[in-house]
Amino acid sequence: MRMRRLHELSSPLPLAGEGALFSRGRYLASSCLALMLSLIVWLASAAPSFAAGPRIVSMNVCSDQLVLSLADPDQIIGLSRFSRDAWQSWAAEKARNFPRLSGEAEDVLLLRPDLVVVSLFDKRATRDLLKAHGLHLVEFTVPRTLDEVKDQIRAMGDVVQHPDRAEAEIARLDAAIARARAAASTHHYRVLPLERRGFVAGDGSLVSSLLAATGLSNAAGELGVGAGGFASLEAIVKLRPDFILVSEAGDRAEDDGRAFLLHPALERFYPQSKRIVLPERLTVCGGVMLADALDRLTEELQRVTR
Amino acid sequence: MSVQDFALAAEVAARRRWGATAALLALVALLCVLSLGIGPVRLSPLAVIEALFGGGSDVAQVIVREIRLPRTILAFAIGGILGLSGAALQGLLRNPLASPSLFGAPQSAAFGAVLVIALGLADVRSYALPVVAIIAAFGSVFALLAIAGRNAGLLILILAGLAISSFAGAATALVMNLSSNPFVVLEIAFWLLGSLEDRSFQHVALALPFIIAGAAILLSQASAFRALTLGEEAAQSLGVDVGRLRLFVITGVALGVGGAVAVTGTIGFIGLVAPHLMRPVIGHDPARLLVPSALTGSALLLAADIAVRIIPSTSDIKVGVLTSIIGVPFFLYLIMRERRALGGGVA
Repeated sequence: MRMRRLHELSSPLPLAGEGALFSRGRYLASSCLALMLSLIVWLASAAPSFAAGPRIVSMNVCSDQLVLSLADPDQIIGLSRFSRDAWQSWAAEKARNFPRLSGEAEDVLLLRPDLVVVSLFDKRATRDLLKAHGLHLVEFTVPRTLDEVKDQIRAMGDVVQHPDRAEAEIARLDAAIARARAAASTHHYRVLPLERRGFVAGDGSLVSSLLAATGLSNAAGELGVGAGGFASLEAIVKLRPDFILVSEAGDRAEDDGRAFLLHPALERFYPQSKRIVLPERLTVCGGVMLADALDRLTEELQRVTR
Repeated sequence: MSVQDFALAAEVAARRRWGATAALLALVALLCVLSLGIGPVRLSPLAVIEALFGGGSDVAQVIVREIRLPRTILAFAIGGILGLSGAALQGLLRNPLASPSLFGAPQSAAFGAVLVIALGLADVRSYALPVVAIIAAFGSVFALLAIAGRNAGLLILILAGLAISSFAGAATALVMNLSSNPFVVLEIAFWLLGSLEDRSFQHVALALPFIIAGAAILLSQASAFRALTLGEEAAQSLGVDVGRLRLFVITGVALGVGGAVAVTGTIGFIGLVAPHLMRPVIGHDPARLLVPSALTGSALLLAADIAVRIIPSTSDIKVGVLTSIIGVPFFLYLIMRERRALGGGVA
């Protein structure tokens, strides 16, 4: 999975085993079924008791954004620790109107929500503790394709009891997909999604689906990184994709991870005019913001191919 | 022994020194060439040479000239300054266990650099990094020598060095917690391990001026180190201002180590090991030991940096980890050898 999730795991100094954290994604991808099961259990047991829709706590920055776009404001009684981080969350501004949680179990137990929305990425111990105290947890997985994203929007619509809003958002996403397809270039440009330290999102990633929807192909496959991994600067230079996809423009390196993307060898072949810029807040989560991501990607593609 | 025998022995020793230095130069040159030839992308030796001089494909040119060449230059320069700093400190303190890393200099320099990175004060490729690192390194070595006093025994120096390294480590961890950059913990954890990977000529420009200045200062004190072997008082009677010498050495070490650490993170133990490898060949004259120790340091770091690229592993091995893995057992061996001197301090 992506680097940015590392700090959500709140681990101490991750001196080694960077790769291990990244490979967790695959295990998560297969748990869509678990989500559906927990949904069914919840719908069968608790649904009838809510008058104006369930009172919801979200404990993950991705579910925050789904809840914010689908639920009524008075349904939301708490959002995740990172909900107001404009870098990760597309809905950070909106999130400021709602209480922010610590990320631990304590304040959630105090709030006594009807429902807790979590990601399978969140700390297992916290989730288990909440379950043991009788809270209803709805666990979301990490979507890998646009279809899975639509399923999640629909599922969240059911959770917050506003399926009509979910359908409207799905329609908006479908419209964006259609626009992207219409604008897609006939030339299948090879694009390498490149993150700090040279992390490359592989074939099975959400970014790959976005690229595919815009008629582009992910060059990561040729690097042999599988579902995602680190590529060396030399290998990237040798691969020579048509464009690289990065999350921010600008030439300030606040740390070494970012300095990688600004290495003179990379800048020689990929100056700003060859870099597709797609902010992380549009791509890190699967949600309604992907419609914006696709529009942005289409615009950027037009800019770099001009 | 007649005068003739003595002259002959001196000549043999001199020939051996020159021979050793020439052999070291050849070894360093060979390692530089190897370092340019090795990387994740396989390039034939011919292609490497061609690319180095501006021929061949543009991809090969960029790989050799912009990715591998800065790395090789940094390994050579940083290994050299670390070896030289070790030899200079050992000469100043007349103490075989003296070295920048045991005195906490790289750790303190790292604290300075981390302060800049974690607080987001400047771009990691700006001069703020080496300058703050140098100030921190200077402060630590100065504090150490002030605490340990003039004729400090081994034990006091090592204990004080340990305390300063621990303090710098704790301060570094604290600064990381204060950062608003969510990646900073991971970035700095990796950075602290020491690596030459993916450096560019920007980094060379950042470190090299300070390293050259530090080396010039340390080399200029060669004759003072030699006088110092006769004891501090004898050296003073020979016109060596010991107080000034100390300040020069601290400044030289701080400039070199600070500049090096600012671009590579902490790479330890080269300063300790290099002079020891040379002493059996060169002899115990600290003045003559300086240049061979620097060359040995270069060879060690170049070799270690080649090794981390060859050793098969799932993720990249950090060169600082490798030098510590080789350096620490060596340090323990030295402690064993110096056991009597150390034990004397306690009893």
